[in-house]
Amino acid sequence: MELAGLSTDQAPPISAPLRFFLTAPLFAILAGILILLSDSATLFSRYSIESIAITHAIAIGFFGFVMLGALMQMLPVLAGVKLYKVKTITLYSHTMLVFGVLFMIYGLYFSQSTINLLAAILLVIGFLILLIPMLIALRDVNNFSPTVKAINTSLIFAIISISIGGYLLFGYATQTMSYTHFILANIHSVWAIFGFVGILIIGVAFQVIPMFYVAPRFKPFCKQWVVYIISVGLVVWAFLNIYYPEYAYIAKTLISLFFFAFGTAVWVKLNNRRRPISDVTVWYWRIASVFIGIGFFAWLFNSFLDDEYIVVISIIIGGGFILSIMIGMLYKIVPFLIWFHLNARGYMNIPTMNEMTNKKILIIQFTLYLLSLFGFILACFYPAFLIYSALSFILSMILLEYSLIKAVLVYAKTIKTKPDFDMSAFNMKV
Amino acid sequence: MSTIKEYLTADHRHCDELFASMEDVANKSLKNAKEITQKFIDASERHFQREERVMFAEFEQKTGMTQGPTAMMRHEHEQMRGLMKQLLEAIDEDNKDRFFGTTETLMILLQQHNMKEEQMLYTMAQQHLSADSDKIVDMMDSMIVE
Repeated sequence: MELAGLSTDQAPPISAPLRFFLTAPLFAILAGILILLSDSATLFSRYSIESIAITHAIAIGFFGFVMLGALMQMLPVLAGVKLYKVKTITLYSHTMLVFGVLFMIYGLYFSQSTINLLAAILLVIGFLILLIPMLIALRDVNNFSPTVKAINTSLIFAIISISIGGYLLFGYATQTMSYTHFILANIHSVWAIFGFVGILIIGVAFQVIPMFYVAPRFKPFCKQWVVYIISVGLVVWAFLNIYYPEYAYIAKTLISLFFFAFGTAVWVKLNNRRRPISDVTVWYWRIASVFIGIGFFAWLFNSFLDDEYIVVISIIIGGGFILSIMIGMLYKIVPFLIWFHLNARGYMNIPTMNEMTNKKILIIQFTLYLLSLFGFILACFYPAFLIYSALSFILSMILLEYSLIKAVLVYAKTIKTKPDFDMSAFNMKV
Repeated sequence: MSTIKEYLTADHRHCDELFASMEDVANKSLKNAKEITQKFIDASERHFQREERVMFAEFEQKTGMTQGPTAMMRHEHEQMRGLMKQLLEAIDEDNKDRFFGTTETLMILLQQHNMKEEQMLYTMAQQHLSADSDKIVDMMDSMIVE
């Protein structure tokens, strides 16, 4: 058993996850600005350079950053995993990823081969120096709960899809794109979004929903099998996609069915939760579960429509499902981390979590975000909506960043004062 | 008879139920929530002591680890005791914002604490103390809160 996981210095330094959490909304703002500057016709073509660049500003810059921060924070608590030199590695990884995404966007927009090449290297290394140690550390865990299993599976999909992504970007850099490029691009995007992000969210939801909202637990069947079935579905889908694309819908049906079941389960659990409190984090879970339902059915039916609506579906799944859950969770994680680290340093009179954020701003942020989501979906059919949706999105992400910074400032302000009770005598390294 | 892990895990769920009831009452009227809040605090205190005075003590004696995981858990119990005191203060001040701000923090602290115990410490305890498992559960069950 890993005793280190429960020792006094089990939590990573606060700078490690916060670095990632605070950067995420900035990339979303950048994505919003790029949408604003783009022509709607090119945006709604999946393989246009602009849509690839903007998608990655969100997928890496937001999803990737939030997940890395969350994994770093969760692994010690959920699995007793202690990451080696986490502070230093995080600093390197974060820097490489920030420049990686920026170079990738610049390189794609301006067709700069060297910059693209550099971006591919930075992104792959930036991700892998964190993800591979996490995967290795998980091998020593004895008590494999369904959540830890899901994290483990998600890390495998992450490492493969990121490596494929690096190869694809390398292809852009060297202008060596073949037919395989498009097949790999399909596998890369489906495995990254459903395998890496989707499975991680499912695993975390098993823990978070019953715990934070005192909701009924997920059924053992759900916890034991959903992740397994989706993973098998994703592998079978990749195989069919390469050799028998006309039958790929069979695997898609399986994947969609189980994501749909998960979305419904989330909705039902929230209905039966024991905590009466209904805050924006609950609303975010709610809209996510609705968009899971719509998104996966649309994804499935789209196979019979020659993937004509893939961009709308990406907005529904990426925005409605994934981004919603992540924003909601950030509102819980960041204030809690600040409280936790201040308390461990011996401060007793810390503002409560609710005092760290402004509830009204959270509601405005939620409304603007929801408007932008519907706006983007409408814009796929009526391009006039694009500009307003982009503005609403940018504004909502500025408010998200503002709320997170406001909470971090509480931390900065408090540590300038003397702790009420000096814990250094107990050698508390937190 | 239940194992140490089963017994203490069930106790966590019992406290969770009381926590939810406490918020439920407080949401309707903070003034009426004093009794249920005290009930939640008492149940939590009993749980903490079952661990600190019985199970942790046995574990520490058996393994010789006094500065390891149990020290961390004891520290987190102290953090939670501090927050529970603030709940009562918030009721006395009739300050709903402070009450729910505190429950929010307490909830996450409590849950991540429970996770560490249920997924790691209890499993370890069950392994090290399996021979005396029944006796320890008995002692925890009949313990009088100090």
